[in-house]
Amino acid sequence: MSALYDLAVIGGGILGGAAACRAAEGGMRTIVLEQQTLGSGASGVNAGTLSLQIKRVKLMPYAIKGHELWEQAGERVGFHKTGGITLAFNQREAELLHERMALKREAGAPIQLITPARVAELEPNLSRKVVAASWCAQDGYANASLSGAYYRTLLDAAGVDIRERTPVTAIDRSGGAFQLATPAGTIRATRLLLACGAWLKGAGALLGLDLPVRARVNTVSVTERGPALVGTVIGHATGLLTLKQKPNGSVLIGGGWQGTGSPDEGRSSVDPATLLPNLRLAMFAVPGLDRFRVVRSWTGFEANVPDFYPLAGAAPGIDNAFLLGCVRGGYTIGPYIGALMGDLILGREPELPLFDPGRFATTAAAA
Amino acid sequence: MAGDLHIGSARTRTVSFRFDGEALTAREGETLAAALYAQGRRTLRISRDDGGPRGAFCFMGVCQECVVAIDGRLTEACRTPVREGLVVESVR
Amino acid sequence: MSDYDLIVLGAGPAGAAAAIKARRLGLRVAVIDEAPAAGGQVYRAPSPALTIARPDADRAKGDDVRARLAASGTVLYANHRVWSLTPGFSVISIGPDGPLTLEASNLIVAAGAIERHIPVSGWTLPGVIGVAGATVLLKAHGVLPGRRVVVAGSGPLLLLVASKIIAAGGEVAAVVDAAPRTGWLARAGAMLARPDLMAKGSGWLLALLKARVPIHSGAAIRAIHGTDGVESVTIGRVDRDWRPVGAAERRVPADAVCLGFGLLPSTEVTRLLGAEHRYEPELGGWIPAVDASLQTSVPGLFVAGDGAGVRGADAAPLSGELAALGVISRLGRGGDLAGEATKIEAEWHKSGRFGGAMSALAVPPPAAAAMIAAGTTVCRCEGLSRAALDAAIVAGARTLADLKATTRCGMGPCGGRVCGEAAAMLIAVATGWDREAIGQPSARPPLRPVPLAAITGAFDYDDLPIPAPAPL
Repeated sequence: MSALYDLAVIGGGILGGAAACRAAEGGMRTIVLEQQTLGSGASGVNAGTLSLQIKRVKLMPYAIKGHELWEQAGERVGFHKTGGITLAFNQREAELLHERMALKREAGAPIQLITPARVAELEPNLSRKVVAASWCAQDGYANASLSGAYYRTLLDAAGVDIRERTPVTAIDRSGGAFQLATPAGTIRATRLLLACGAWLKGAGALLGLDLPVRARVNTVSVTERGPALVGTVIGHATGLLTLKQKPNGSVLIGGGWQGTGSPDEGRSSVDPATLLPNLRLAMFAVPGLDRFRVVRSWTGFEANVPDFYPLAGAAPGIDNAFLLGCVRGGYTIGPYIGALMGDLILGREPELPLFDPGRFATTAAAA
Repeated sequence: MAGDLHIGSARTRTVSFRFDGEALTAREGETLAAALYAQGRRTLRISRDDGGPRGAFCFMGVCQECVVAIDGRLTEACRTPVREGLVVESVR
Repeated sequence: MSDYDLIVLGAGPAGAAAAIKARRLGLRVAVIDEAPAAGGQVYRAPSPALTIARPDADRAKGDDVRARLAASGTVLYANHRVWSLTPGFSVISIGPDGPLTLEASNLIVAAGAIERHIPVSGWTLPGVIGVAGATVLLKAHGVLPGRRVVVAGSGPLLLLVASKIIAAGGEVAAVVDAAPRTGWLARAGAMLARPDLMAKGSGWLLALLKARVPIHSGAAIRAIHGTDGVESVTIGRVDRDWRPVGAAERRVPADAVCLGFGLLPSTEVTRLLGAEHRYEPELGGWIPAVDASLQTSVPGLFVAGDGAGVRGADAAPLSGELAALGVISRLGRGGDLAGEATKIEAEWHKSGRFGGAMSALAVPPPAAAAMIAAGTTVCRCEGLSRAALDAAIVAGARTLADLKATTRCGMGPCGGRVCGEAAAMLIAVATGWDREAIGQPSARPPLRPVPLAAITGAFDYDDLPIPAPAPL
């Protein structure tokens, strides 16, 4: 009979990693099962934007805490606090900006409105067609591709067992513990956390849960290294552009434009039809990009549920099973909400409330 | 390295261009990478990483080592035919 | 409805043969190539500036391919760089007149090969060029790689390039082939199947012997020396597994080095479109998995030429015709072509056996990673040394994707096409993992760096299809 873990986490991204670390630090014997490699999903392929200006109002307290954790991780994750500017290029966007930033400011983000003249001072290479803008000194970015290596270090330090390239193909909970079937054998654990991002729906189905999880396919592009153009994180009033230039001179362009594909197909692809407006918006905001070449565009899955708030809490109707995912702004918020989840699993009261998956009908089947 | 590495005679007219301010000539229609290489201008840029010289390597649009700036835009010298009056700057 | 039944990517010998065959059988065919003229690498067309007094056999074959393609009624889009594709298929390119998207339900990828590189100390110096690059200089531009050239790496292409340099009036200071001389004998069976091509190879060798070029087999460059460019090269022996043994034995003055370790099938298009691949070292490494008609696991996506496995220029047109017949049969056109396909397939196998054996001579054993010194730059785009990559491997990187995430290796403008093979060798020697597990560099659009301005073109801000903003 194989060893019995106190907690098995399915999913080796930021959320699963942070929850596993907290649980292990609290004394639980913990294992992380990852179908690919640590941080190879959304945790590793997102644009790395740490901007409070694009966070949802209700999630702002979590984003502020998450931001602090990334700042503490510092160089290990390529953290840079640069400040960020959000731009509006017409009256409609200006109204949207004013309305949204006021609410985000009320929620605790130190956001202020700035004039186009101030934008030109801060970032002389931005378009002069700005009609309104906001500024947040807290904003910045980190290097998402380091997420896997960073959490590997943390998990190792916390004594968590890591099994990579280990997909879970079936879950049996008849014997009082969860028995997780993998190609490398069965893993047994008394508690189970599903934190597998866009694959949450499939993992939930193994427990008989019908989770209302869908996946967006976000596109990110990077240019080759070039001369300095911008120093801050640049956004757009609609949220459909994020842009920053790394210290090495490459420019990262995101904004959530949709590619094609799905987790079920196992792959996603850049859609030239959405890449084009994404890049055009970037060029419009930073005209000097016309001297740059794009070297790569890629896509990653971002899971969500109909209300676009997290699934974070006990799995409906299944003792000792927990769900964590669908966190909008998950890169920023992930380290924090993951730790809160670890607290919940340890039986402690989380510092901030979680988001009960029971708000959705999930039809837990008898297993 | 001395002299011109061209073999055989040119079939097209000679055109003038500038590389980092220096006035040079080439056979019209040959690529910038070949023209510069043949006349001993083999260093096309200085590496940002080690400060060492870099030049054309694959001559077929794969390696990106021969990237230069033409009118400020980054371009592969091995895929750019030399034209009269071209102004080429190395990338540093 | 699309203007074409078939799009062929690449106008080398395989692509041209595929296009000509498909057109002859009634299909509407477009061919796209990034070069200014058809011919591919092997039959690369001379630049308009070049006069060659005595065209060689390759030139004559190239002129023949160009003439037949031009007369075939296919549409050639030369000077078009394909930067993305979507299933079904859209082929998205940028040409001299701006963006061009072509559509067809069948695609034959005849993208040829790129060169395999094992980094050696000093290989970033100007004057060190690829063996394939040297053939471009010689064939297309009539430019010698240098006055006194060391040709080094592995495989028969070294002899070809060295003999071309001599024929063009240059001096070859040395040919340095890591493969032991016995490698040739081990493959003699396959080679004897094509005495005509053996004679061609012997011709190269004879020219070198006549010019008294030192040929070092079982040897490799230890370092390339110089300040602003190549000044000299040190050479030493390697063992059966291509590991350097003993001290460097000689230092050779030279002003240029041609470096290459054989060819790798160019598979980025089939990878981008999600076809299955397998690792086949003898055919150059990763190749698409195909059926008898050279159709990949993606319906309608066919491959031909060296991109389907390195078998050389003589086998290439046969594979092109085979793929064209596959397309015809998929479309249910052209009647019963099974007999013809069987005949071409048999010829292709025969020709491919020789080409494959030649190609296999260049394939490094995994231990050849020992040639790469700790301080040697492996990833040229990002300036990463072997030591930096080894450190990441020790820290847990097990795949090319891991290595890219933690070090940026392969993330630069070359997209891992220059360093990917060496990086995979480093992981393999450190971990003992097989190449299937280590994986390939990921294929993402753009397949080559594309100027942002060329993609975006002119546009009005108000016309941008900006979706509804994210929920507040």
